[in-house]
Amino acid sequence: MNLGNPVQLALERMGLPAADFAAMAGPLGVTPKDTIHAQGTLKLHHFRPQCDSVYRTPVLIVTSLVNQPYILDLVPGQSMVEHLLRQGYDVYMIEWGRPRREHRHLTLEDHVLDRLPACVDQVLKHSGQRELSIIGYCIGGLLSVLWAALQAGDPAPAGRVRPLKNLVCMATPVNSDGLESLKAWMGEHFDEEALLAEHGNVPADWVQNALRALRPLGKVAGAMNLLNQADQEEVVRSNLRMGKWETDNIPFPGGVFRQMVRDFMRGNALVQGRWSLGGRRVDLGAIHAPFLHLLAQDDHITPYASSRDLVQRVGSSDKTELILKGGHVGLVAGRGAQTRMWPALDAWLAPRSV
Amino acid sequence: MDAQTDWNALSPMRLWRDWIIKNEAQWSETVSQMLKDERAGPTLNRQLSEMQLLQRQFSELAQASLAAANLPSRTDFEALDERMGRLEDGLAQVAAALSQLSAAISVWAQAGGADTPAALPQRPARNRRPAAKARG
Repeated sequence: MNLGNPVQLALERMGLPAADFAAMAGPLGVTPKDTIHAQGTLKLHHFRPQCDSVYRTPVLIVTSLVNQPYILDLVPGQSMVEHLLRQGYDVYMIEWGRPRREHRHLTLEDHVLDRLPACVDQVLKHSGQRELSIIGYCIGGLLSVLWAALQAGDPAPAGRVRPLKNLVCMATPVNSDGLESLKAWMGEHFDEEALLAEHGNVPADWVQNALRALRPLGKVAGAMNLLNQADQEEVVRSNLRMGKWETDNIPFPGGVFRQMVRDFMRGNALVQGRWSLGGRRVDLGAIHAPFLHLLAQDDHITPYASSRDLVQRVGSSDKTELILKGGHVGLVAGRGAQTRMWPALDAWLAPRSV
Repeated sequence: MDAQTDWNALSPMRLWRDWIIKNEAQWSETVSQMLKDERAGPTLNRQLSEMQLLQRQFSELAQASLAAANLPSRTDFEALDERMGRLEDGLAQVAAALSQLSAAISVWAQAGGADTPAALPQRPARNRRPAAKARG
């Protein structure tokens, strides 16, 4: 009876030597792009257009602070970015980068009032346009919403229109009462200062364990499911890519984490209209740009209870909420994303991008 | 369905895996409910603090042993990682400056400043309209 490594056995059944295991995932995030702006660890990428003509309005993707952005550009055929390019969008993406100890003081103000507006300016300058659409995923969606609300409250620049033409959020939490497990964990007894004093930023493995705790046995079920489909090469490859991404978290900048725990998680300040950044109150009702919120039905990271308030509170008259089958990651990168979310996003954004 | 697939579907290990997959959501939900209990938070945090303390003590011990053996410690690797990160950021800034220069030359060339060199990327026209089915 052969009791060898099940992964190796599965690979042998597929006719692949175990040495190829790491290579099976392949290089990720390979859609051709140029870095057009860099600030500290932040990089702003411009993806090379893949059509002869593009929509007038460029698209800026704002990714999460704690996950690698290549989840939106895994491999050709499994990439939201590639899909948007093929549909004729001019696509830019913010990669926040991996904060080091020297970046432990970075706050939400640094991201929302300095780095994100700088990227918006760069996109407008590079594309030669006056307006752009923003697509924010998870915490990236939250940053986008905070920026959109604050810039909407500013007087319009002289002789110019406001830069935000459309706002799309994907699985964006706004109400911490809906994040019950995290809220119970990070209540008053949670000592975020001790954690930050020890590490500066929240370590990547800590972030990973926190996310895994939201579905404690999910990894086990995923492994069982993979073994059941070990003879299907593309399923294995896809699983390896996701696995590689899931274990490639980014440390959470210390200053941002402190604000997220105190103001967002404990104080639930955003939906209560009490959240201030840089001395200015964030009013979701000030957002009047066309708005789309894409949500996953089985999202254990951003449950519906934490995200449903967003569409109700933005002030846009043109606003839509779409709940699609799948989980937090499957919403943007799974096979379901390919057949459901990407086409839905394109159908909503295309007529608003001319 | 071939013989191999039949055998797989009936194997006890396959049935056991299917049973785990089928019940995982319910088990995870049960554990999650336990974590939502207000007593779970302090317990979890106490354990995390203890683990952190243990980790720090182990790290200090290991560091002394590694230094005695003239081997790099975790702190050394972290310092190296920080330096590599700074180098990577510097390279990104150079890449961004080069990209902007290339874009500026491309715009100048397309505006009739010179015959466009073949290597410079041509910008696509910004006049795309949605397909009829996408309107809504």
